[in-house]
Amino acid sequence: MLHPVLTDSRRLRAYLVAWLLPTALLLAVPLATYPPGWRSILLVVVPLAALYAFVCLAAWYPCQANPPGTPLTRVLTVQLVAAASATGVWLLAGRGWSTFVAHWWPGAAEAFSRMLPIFALAGVFLYLLAAAAAYLHLAAEAGRDAERQALEAQVAAREAELKALRAQMDPHFLFNALNSVSALVGTDPPGARRMCEQLAGFLRGSLELDRAERIPLSKEIALVHAFLQIERVRFGDRLKFVSEIDEAAATIEVPPLLLQPLVENALKHGIAHLVDGGTVTVQAKRRGGTVYLVVDNPIDPDRPPSRGLALGLENVRRRMQATYGERALVVVDSKPQRFRVELRIPLEGAPAVVAGDQIGVAPVRPEPQ
Amino acid sequence: MIDAPALRVLIVDDEEPARQLLSELLAGEDDVELIGECRNGFEAVQSIQTLAPDLVLLDVQMPKLDGFEVLELLDSPPMVVFVTAYDEYAVRAFEVHAVDYLLKPVSGERLHAALERVRARIAAHETPVPATPLAREARPSGGFLERVLVRDGDKVHVVPVARVDYFEAQGDSVVLRVGTDKLRKATTLNDLERELDPGRFLRVHRSYILNLDRLAGLELYAKDSRVAILKDGTRLPVSRPGYSRLRGLL
Repeated sequence: MLHPVLTDSRRLRAYLVAWLLPTALLLAVPLATYPPGWRSILLVVVPLAALYAFVCLAAWYPCQANPPGTPLTRVLTVQLVAAASATGVWLLAGRGWSTFVAHWWPGAAEAFSRMLPIFALAGVFLYLLAAAAAYLHLAAEAGRDAERQALEAQVAAREAELKALRAQMDPHFLFNALNSVSALVGTDPPGARRMCEQLAGFLRGSLELDRAERIPLSKEIALVHAFLQIERVRFGDRLKFVSEIDEAAATIEVPPLLLQPLVENALKHGIAHLVDGGTVTVQAKRRGGTVYLVVDNPIDPDRPPSRGLALGLENVRRRMQATYGERALVVVDSKPQRFRVELRIPLEGAPAVVAGDQIGVAPVRPEPQ
Repeated sequence: MIDAPALRVLIVDDEEPARQLLSELLAGEDDVELIGECRNGFEAVQSIQTLAPDLVLLDVQMPKLDGFEVLELLDSPPMVVFVTAYDEYAVRAFEVHAVDYLLKPVSGERLHAALERVRARIAAHETPVPATPLAREARPSGGFLERVLVRDGDKVHVVPVARVDYFEAQGDSVVLRVGTDKLRKATTLNDLERELDPGRFLRVHRSYILNLDRLAGLELYAKDSRVAILKDGTRLPVSRPGYSRLRGLL
């Protein structure tokens, strides 16, 4: 790891400013006891303090070599030896400097000799202080690393989950659509061509969406419309659909193919079982901080929703929570004649969904019909 | 040599384009007569009984009755070729002795080959095997009976088991009590007992299987002899083994 202070000019400035305090203390003690020698004192203390500021920066290296977690006795030994060495080097330098300056200012050597005990104590103390600061920094860094790793793991897990849950189009839809095209080729060639175009449009759209993490709801709804157009050829008048989309809701972002499987289910488990078919309703509306997406369809009372459907909805619920967090809800309302799924998506930073709601697939309270 | 009579074919599919395609493909075949088209399982059961086709081109997923349920309701099923977009029913289809299994989108060549197989079987005087017991055997393992199919002349009743109060053996058939209605089905109580969810339906007596949802209480009416009181007040006899099964469950 690079030196945290030497490689960062902002930290270096802050460190040097902090060193003004020990420098001031080193000046204050001799000045208080021997005011007349202030010139010698200044001449000796200021350059030495500046020098020691840089010596103490070296405390980082033994600390880094013995990071938090190293046995305490070893840490203490290493740091005390280092502190003694640093102090020794500093005092030698101090002796040399004061002797050198004494050529021009004879009081300097004597001032240094008198301050020697203070310098020795201060040297050890300041070095240990620097080491402690280095350890604090190392510990904080390690904590941040652990936090970042945990966060990264969380993000990776969520992405993996989303990938696993990624909704897939039922391939049988394609086979059935191609069968319809094949039929139209004989009876209605322009219709066959139109259907080929719709099919291509839908497939291209769904491939595009497949690559995106999130898409605007309006795109998802366009895809659902294309899907329903194609299925209408197959089901004929048995399939009617109504779509009520609030513009305020259409701008939110959703994971791709969030609604499409619900509409697919509405056809597969609803309309397909009804001799006369019925109406599939798709709604998107925004009330306060929540967007409500609803797919509602009639069902055959003799064919209660299957287990496969429940599994599919569980998948939708998990995708919702992986994308929007725990406050996102999937509310299933299963009546003898109708099946309705409501997705409640809280907008970011919005107040919680209506109090009292449960998380998960929960039957909604019965409403008067 | 005298030509074989034309093959009389019935198309059963709930989707109009699918029916159109089959009828168009059949029109290109020699010695094939399209005698009708059905849009759902109910229509299919009726038409097969009144028209007696040689061959039914049968979709699997349809409203009301699926293709397999249609076969289950027929006493003497015709030859069957399944036509579906799903390949997962193939095993089941051959278990009910389907002649062939065509995948959508249907190819003319495959349909032709299927018709050839049908003709070969007819030439060999093979008669279709009744599918009733086999359709039942082919029920995916682990799944319990969810709906009981009852044919009443031309009418077909689909009864979700949850609506049946109890089953009563009467001669060689079983009577379903559904609210105020009674429906008769040609089967045995033993067969039904095997198929019903044992957690919901219990053989309380040699002649009765009770929907436990309907049970209101038990009454001792003689030594070793009890009656089950249903929620609507109906009383059913409970045999000694029936009582010990009931106790084991409750």
